[in-house]
Amino acid sequence: MFSGGGIEKRGISKAVNKRSSSRRSSSSSTGSGSTSGSSSGSGSSSGSSSESGRSNNSGSSSGSGSGSGSGSTPLGSPPHVQMASHESLNSESKSSSLNSKLGHESAGSPSAGSPSPPKSVCSSSSTSTDQHHHHQLAHVLSSTSKLTVREGTRTLRPDEPTLVPGEHMEGTAREVTYLCPYTGPKKGTLSVTNYRLYFRSPETDPPFELEVPLGVVSRIEKVGGANTSRGENSYGIEIFCKDIRNLRFAHKQENHSRRMVTEKLLQYAFPASHKLPFFAFEYCEQYPENGWTVYEPIAELKRQGLPNESWRITRINEDYELCETYPAVWAVPAAASDTDLRNVAAFRSRGRIPVLSWIHPESQATITRCAQPLVGVSGKRSRDDEAYIQHIMDANAQSHKIFIMDARPSVNAVANKARGGGYESEDAYQNAEVQFLDIHNIHVMRESLRKLQEVCYPHIDNAHWLSNLEATHWLDHIRCVLSGALRIADKVESHKTSVVVHCSDGWDRTAQLTALAMLMLDGYYRTIPGFAVLIEKEWLSFGHKFAQRIGHGDDRHQDEDRSPVFLQFVDCVCQVMKQFPHAFQFTEDLLITVLDHLYSCLFGTFLYNSERERMEKEVKTKTVSLWSLILSNPSDFENPLYNPATRHHVLFPLTSMRHLCLWDKYYCRWNPSMRPQEPVHIRFKELLHVKGQLERRVDELRRELAARQTHDSPRVTSAIV
Amino acid sequence: MHSYRRSTRPSSFKTYVDIVEFEERPVDVPEEVDNGKVEPNLLPGEIKIAEANNVLKFAPLKTNKTGISGTLFVTNFKVSFVTSLPVDSKEAELHERSLQSHYLGVHDVCLSEVDLVYQISEGSTKKKRLLYNAPLPARVSGLQLVLKNLRVINFSFKFTPAGEDVRIGQALLHHAFPPSIDHLFLSCGHPSPFTGIPEFCLAQDWEKELQRTRCPNWRVSKHNEFFNLCSSLPTVVVVPRDLLDAQLEQAAQHFQGTRPPVWCWGALGGAALVRMAQISPNISDKISVTKSMGTLQRRKLEEESQQQENRMMGLVHRCHPKKLQPTIIDLDQKLPSLKDLQISYIKLRELHTPDDPTQFWEQDRHYFSRWESSRWLSYVSKCLEVAQNAASAIAHHNSSVILQESEGRDMSAVISSLVQLLLDPQVRTLRGFHSLIQKEWVTLGHSFCLRLGHTRNQPEEQSPVWLLFLDCVHQLSLQHHAALEFTSEYLLALWHASHCSLHSSFMFNSVNAKYSATAVLQRENPQQPVYLRPVWSWWAEDHDWLGGEQNGSSESVKGRRSAARDLFLNVHYIQNLMESLAVSGALGRLRDPVSSAHHTWHRIQYLLGDSGPLPYDPNAPVGPLQIDASLRVDVALSSLKPWHECFSGWISEPSVTINEIDSLSRQSTTTVQHWEHVRQIYYTIKSHLSETLTNGVAE
Repeated sequence: MFSGGGIEKRGISKAVNKRSSSRRSSSSSTGSGSTSGSSSGSGSSSGSSSESGRSNNSGSSSGSGSGSGSGSTPLGSPPHVQMASHESLNSESKSSSLNSKLGHESAGSPSAGSPSPPKSVCSSSSTSTDQHHHHQLAHVLSSTSKLTVREGTRTLRPDEPTLVPGEHMEGTAREVTYLCPYTGPKKGTLSVTNYRLYFRSPETDPPFELEVPLGVVSRIEKVGGANTSRGENSYGIEIFCKDIRNLRFAHKQENHSRRMVTEKLLQYAFPASHKLPFFAFEYCEQYPENGWTVYEPIAELKRQGLPNESWRITRINEDYELCETYPAVWAVPAAASDTDLRNVAAFRSRGRIPVLSWIHPESQATITRCAQPLVGVSGKRSRDDEAYIQHIMDANAQSHKIFIMDARPSVNAVANKARGGGYESEDAYQNAEVQFLDIHNIHVMRESLRKLQEVCYPHIDNAHWLSNLEATHWLDHIRCVLSGALRIADKVESHKTSVVVHCSDGWDRTAQLTALAMLMLDGYYRTIPGFAVLIEKEWLSFGHKFAQRIGHGDDRHQDEDRSPVFLQFVDCVCQVMKQFPHAFQFTEDLLITVLDHLYSCLFGTFLYNSERERMEKEVKTKTVSLWSLILSNPSDFENPLYNPATRHHVLFPLTSMRHLCLWDKYYCRWNPSMRPQEPVHIRFKELLHVKGQLERRVDELRRELAARQTHDSPRVTSAIV
Repeated sequence: MHSYRRSTRPSSFKTYVDIVEFEERPVDVPEEVDNGKVEPNLLPGEIKIAEANNVLKFAPLKTNKTGISGTLFVTNFKVSFVTSLPVDSKEAELHERSLQSHYLGVHDVCLSEVDLVYQISEGSTKKKRLLYNAPLPARVSGLQLVLKNLRVINFSFKFTPAGEDVRIGQALLHHAFPPSIDHLFLSCGHPSPFTGIPEFCLAQDWEKELQRTRCPNWRVSKHNEFFNLCSSLPTVVVVPRDLLDAQLEQAAQHFQGTRPPVWCWGALGGAALVRMAQISPNISDKISVTKSMGTLQRRKLEEESQQQENRMMGLVHRCHPKKLQPTIIDLDQKLPSLKDLQISYIKLRELHTPDDPTQFWEQDRHYFSRWESSRWLSYVSKCLEVAQNAASAIAHHNSSVILQESEGRDMSAVISSLVQLLLDPQVRTLRGFHSLIQKEWVTLGHSFCLRLGHTRNQPEEQSPVWLLFLDCVHQLSLQHHAALEFTSEYLLALWHASHCSLHSSFMFNSVNAKYSATAVLQRENPQQPVYLRPVWSWWAEDHDWLGGEQNGSSESVKGRRSAARDLFLNVHYIQNLMESLAVSGALGRLRDPVSSAHHTWHRIQYLLGDSGPLPYDPNAPVGPLQIDASLRVDVALSSLKPWHECFSGWISEPSVTINEIDSLSRQSTTTVQHWEHVRQIYYTIKSHLSETLTNGVAE
């Protein structure tokens, strides 16, 4: 059992959990905490865990005599415990009982739930969160039981995590204290593997557990020196994570454990800086579905109706020579020759020429994406580029106009001229109208998220919550991106006019805009496989620099190239989803799972900057795709409220601030005091379940009645006779 | 936000229009088809006062470039706009979720709903507030009405024949802001049906409540029979058993508004919930003393008042069977003043009634911080916190709680009601909630008329205490969405209903004021009986008596009503009831009249409308109170949400003009799906029951 960036995100641990648990259950007869009995216990007890943890800890640390200063600074979090407590609070007895019912009925879960951890692989997984997931997922367990027993599952001590295939222990430190900002310090054992950090404290019942995939770590700092640390818990390490939380562990100086832990953490959290491979290359889980096949560029273009008389498919970039950050396969106007393409590439920043993203099935209006033209201070022009834009416009017979949406604020667009870039002049491009969408650059977004983290983690200043939130401008930026995408969708749908989208390089804001507009226009992208295609196509193949923006395995946490551009896109998707609860085949669990594995480095999907780099590193053959996990477990992400008829609808979300809300289920998930509401789709699932149950009971009664009648009638007749 | 189906695009479809390139579109002017005279629909007793033809009606955020043309009337009940043009879908939908849709047409506004009237002119952004006595210029080019439900309507008289504009303006100002409550249109000329909700004006109502709660040592006093003791309390009040009527009378003099402490709820353990006024700082109006009274005398009086207060608290103390000290909560100290509350509301009103798209977007940029600076949510949070503390004193410490407030008619109603919602499962049902409002708000004398500004008198006394309470309940339902039998949509409907003069529940300052108004009406028109109609009647009425002319056929009225019912009743609550039937054996016991399954089934039948119009059995006895302290509210500000449906419900985002209906129905479709399945379950069980019945008979 293990999970991605925090156990409570069901998505992550779910499927993987399930696998390991099924393996476990088949390998050992004692095993697996996937029954309802143990799970309900886990949820309720987590609340009390904090106090016992605190008292125990203070006792033992005073005994150790490693007295040192300010141990009170609350850092770090016990995510899974909190989350478990949340959910148990939220759903109260009702949903958990339902889940257990589900578990019993459909899974017929393998072994009886033994809450006490036996010494086998399964033992370490019977922890609070895990059980929580188990019971939530019990219903899918049966489907995976066909998996083979893995050889060489070694027996672990109870304080070690269950390892995923390819994972191995790197080091363990005992008597480490985790300083939870919400429930106080807890003493336990800290383990480091080549994939994750695992902390377990037996002080609480059930044991407190914390797991963090090392890919999530952005920075590790030592707190307190050998001679300077005074007071309890002041000597240790602090871990800053990319998923809006910081963890702090206190070590005992005399144990000399800090050094080992820090070294191992640095090594495996930042493999790129240490010339080590990403864990994705060692992870060797088998999934029934192969996510690498979900996106086939030609098939997707065919789905859109290409090639047709106005658009052709070209492999001109097959060797990534014309444009190294673009995919191998492009769709371009049929009227443009290969020579034209080369000439246009010379006039567009980094050779990123306008290429088709989406075509309207009826009006043939298109969304094309590119980078800024190389206009420069002198106002250079390119006849070929102008003709090419004209070709794009001509490919759509419905309109004699074309919009060029420049995602940047106009000031920035002008400023880019000094660096050789700029924007299309309306004089040079006939029938084109340039509009600026006023979305700020990656640095502004990074700063905004930093502020948001300050506001959300670890504690919320209730008195100024709304104004603090507003001051981060995070929702402001979300609004800008959404309304920009809305404008594009509107031009294409309502005005039947083609739109060319670009920013500076065409891989950040452009990807946000085209992907969101496509999500609004085309219901296919709102299905689970369609969403995978959308991300594979608009983000991965068109070269959003995931490696740079996320900084996978890289220890330069202050790198200016990092920015939450993709997170912002996912947030926008979630905003649309909240306004249209029936229009998406998946729930926000899918989005959270995607975000967790954006950082986790468990899957190869988000590694590297471009399709070309991924080809070179043979990512498709050497790693597992995130979509394998998701497509193999669709029921974990399916939205029961989804109405397939909405596939033919165009969504126009409202974009005023009053209709946006902070995605607290993601940003505030570590905080136990933020209780997200029980989503309606869960209620709905419960309703369907109750319905099924009642119908079965009615059937039973009917049969009983019928049986009694047939049984009774002969007696009655005989009496008459 | 809206979605639509691409292939089946209706022809009447308006396209989304970007603010940047909003084109000036011609005003929709209907062809002159109405040869005959246009007339408003009138209720029995309603009379037309003024009329203006060729009036254009605008929703301000659609930018005043589009409007619909029609005839505007002012009657003694409403402002009625009559047009042959199709209705805006959002307006229609919001209209259908009101409790007065059978009295008022989509374009109609009850006079008492009007909050502010502005004079506006075309091309100018300036507007001028018109008070009830404002002189009107020779020509009025337009009027803007800001309603108490935060809806804004603009009328333009550009094409109106001269003279009609001024006449209609004068009629509106005069009748929308009457000098006294009896000038409003209060009686609909039809008796209201039986709803089973006690009025708490009879001794037996209070006795039943005492019996239900099993709270010992309190008695019903009829000493206020002629409102001689206190004009704002009902004729019967519940007081400590050991308090003699004479003592009660003596004590009352020393409290503000001469309101002695009264019991309003209690528990078996002996903990009682008591509402008490502050002692009177100036009792000169009761005892004939003048300002020339010496300090010594005054101090003596103060001491006396203090003694009376202590005596009363002592009596409450002695009522407790275990003689536990009561908890006294001074609401004046802990909660915002009525003035603060009104200031907060005015800020929110400004934020939610923008004049044009520019202002809308300007406000939108700082929407969250403006919400915060209004302090509204912090007031909601404080109320919930105080209520939660009081509830925990009762539930966990079995301690009586005395809510003390200046006159004990405002915040004490909020807190007392919330405490009961938190502890009493019966109050969370629709029937219980109606009884609660009737008891705590209507009968114990919340000054609805004054606080909601139904008349033009004492505008400085206006304060949305009632809305504050509804918002608190709304937050409660957000955090526990299966706990209440009714939805937030119903709370909102109640808020809107409290501005409509035909709902007598929310029109008066006290029971006494209601009696006086009735008497005045009866005197003025002795032939016609006066029927005041409590808001609860909506649930029991079939609305057929209106003749179906008001808004379409009786079929469509019925359809709308059942749609509204589905919106007002909480499907999650019903789901929980059904879940309780899913336990093993429960279905087999449905016919066993003493089983809880039978009882639950009975309730479900009513809730699904299968046993008459009311969603509950009005004749069923209410079971004894069993305190349930499980409802905890998270009062942290970050956990409270602005009530958008209430404050921005009428605003349509300016940049979007397509099919607003989708945006409204988006959430309700979630519940529609839910309802569908709940109904399917219901019919499955029902058919099973009838089968066993026939089989049983056959046997």
